[in-house]
Amino acid sequence: MPTSVMRDRIAVFLIAGFAASGAAFAQGKPADPLAVGRQLLAEDNPGDLWVQRGERLFHEKRGPGRASLERCDFGLGAGKLDGAFARMPRYFPDTDRVQDLESRLLTCMVELQGFQREEVIRNAFSTLDRNSDMEALASYVASRSNGMKMHVTLDHPREREMYKAGEYLFHRRNGPTDFACVSCHGDDGRRIRLQDLPNMTDAAQMRAVIAGWPAYRGTQGTVRTMQHRLYDCNWQMRLPDLGFASDMSIALTTYLNYSGNGAVIQVPGVRR
Amino acid sequence: MTAAALAVPGCATYPDGETARQLGEKMVSEAYPGMPEALVKRAVQDRPQALCTKIGKASLTREEAAEVVALSRASLRYPASGKLVGDWQAGARLAYSGTGSRIRGGRVEKAKENGALCSNCHMLDPGEINAGNLGPSLAAYGTQRGGSEELAKYAYERIYNAWAFVPCSTMPRLGAGHHLTPEQIADVVAYLIDPQSPVNRRR
Amino acid sequence: MKIRATVKGDLAEVRVLIAHPMETGQRKNSKGELVPTHFIQSLVVTHNGKTVYSGQWSQAVSRNPVFAVRIRGAKAGDKISVTWVDNKGDKRTDEAVVAPAS
Repeated sequence: MPTSVMRDRIAVFLIAGFAASGAAFAQGKPADPLAVGRQLLAEDNPGDLWVQRGERLFHEKRGPGRASLERCDFGLGAGKLDGAFARMPRYFPDTDRVQDLESRLLTCMVELQGFQREEVIRNAFSTLDRNSDMEALASYVASRSNGMKMHVTLDHPREREMYKAGEYLFHRRNGPTDFACVSCHGDDGRRIRLQDLPNMTDAAQMRAVIAGWPAYRGTQGTVRTMQHRLYDCNWQMRLPDLGFASDMSIALTTYLNYSGNGAVIQVPGVRR
Repeated sequence: MTAAALAVPGCATYPDGETARQLGEKMVSEAYPGMPEALVKRAVQDRPQALCTKIGKASLTREEAAEVVALSRASLRYPASGKLVGDWQAGARLAYSGTGSRIRGGRVEKAKENGALCSNCHMLDPGEINAGNLGPSLAAYGTQRGGSEELAKYAYERIYNAWAFVPCSTMPRLGAGHHLTPEQIADVVAYLIDPQSPVNRRR
Repeated sequence: MKIRATVKGDLAEVRVLIAHPMETGQRKNSKGELVPTHFIQSLVVTHNGKTVYSGQWSQAVSRNPVFAVRIRGAKAGDKISVTWVDNKGDKRTDEAVVAPAS
């Protein structure tokens, strides 16, 4: 509840002190004291541990099929990883679907490795008691596009449908809060409590945020993916559990990624 | 609007807005597998939500605005006691609470009551910095406007259904959407209006 | 583990990112049961085979900890080794070579 004026003054003094010590760090003066912590996390991102684990899992022969994921096609041909994530979501003729990274991993884990689809979905998001292979694999495959620009294309009619449906869904008012994504993410300078919100109808702001997913999320203590980000937002909107790899999630991802085309991918990012 | 234009040769306008809407609605109907029917209903748009879904430069027509306002006015309900100004201390707790009504694993979270979500978007107590800016600051609300019955009724109705005043407002229709009870809204009104409330206390 | 070692003046700065649950023994899992303690008890850093840091850790250190140490007199090309042992008896060792100043 409310802080007294005296505590305000002390808090301001502490923040000033922190900012002064922040100037001692090598990489330039941060604009705000919280940036010091973010900088430290960015330099030693726990998410790198997920990439390491994901690389190991990717090459390991696993599942009833005793197969690795080395033959998985992410759009550039079987086993070709460099730059694949940068072009997703995209249409895949073998499934006749537009798929994002995680739904494609799901396809390969089921078809190449023989895992049960429902079980992979059930374990897609880690908890403190159980790791998620999907999180690690997504981190690894996405990291193979690091340094490259996001480049989603809409040449296929199904890709165009996904984009337009995603645009509609982004603006769709619904639920007990009457919010659409655009309610919070539709203009500059918006903030929910103390969390700044990117304006996702602005291409530059979109590029600044989209290419950091998957990201290590401090409040979650784990890497979270775009599927989880959409799931979590859905939860805040008082809507039911968003289906993993549902068309709705992929349509929104298509819309957001396309809007962020040109962003240089750098994953795992660091988020609150 | 989004700076990303669809520069694709051939069928440059496919799919059109109505097709996109139908595709989107189909996706919503399939987005919540295994969820209880009553909870999936939350994702179904009511008439005002459908009218208020506009993309890019599309805006509400005068007829649509009038319809939304009329439907919203008709939705207004008041506390059985007739008291529109309740307990400001209860209102203070509600104003800074953002929990309640969220769904995990197909179950609604256990909460004593739904928080009113006010501080997510509004500055309230001027001494509390943990408040958003999606809505205007409500600091000194009562001090600036006085404590009349008309003000209490206005504040109450605005919280119950903001769209009765501004059709398609960003503000959730907290009463009409059954997120808050009439009595809880009266407590929030008291928090905004009462001279003893931190919202109005001088520093 | 992920180890980064870089020359900075007459020191080498070593940063280690460790994957470990570091359970305090006070957390309850989703079934309401107490999760038993599981944490790194000791950590040793060697520089060209010589121990330069030896620490007794406890549950107070957080999950997936980041650990940093500065070693005086370390040069580019020197070998750094990090070993931890936890309270279950698990042991992990990783090595890195000191990189020149960037």
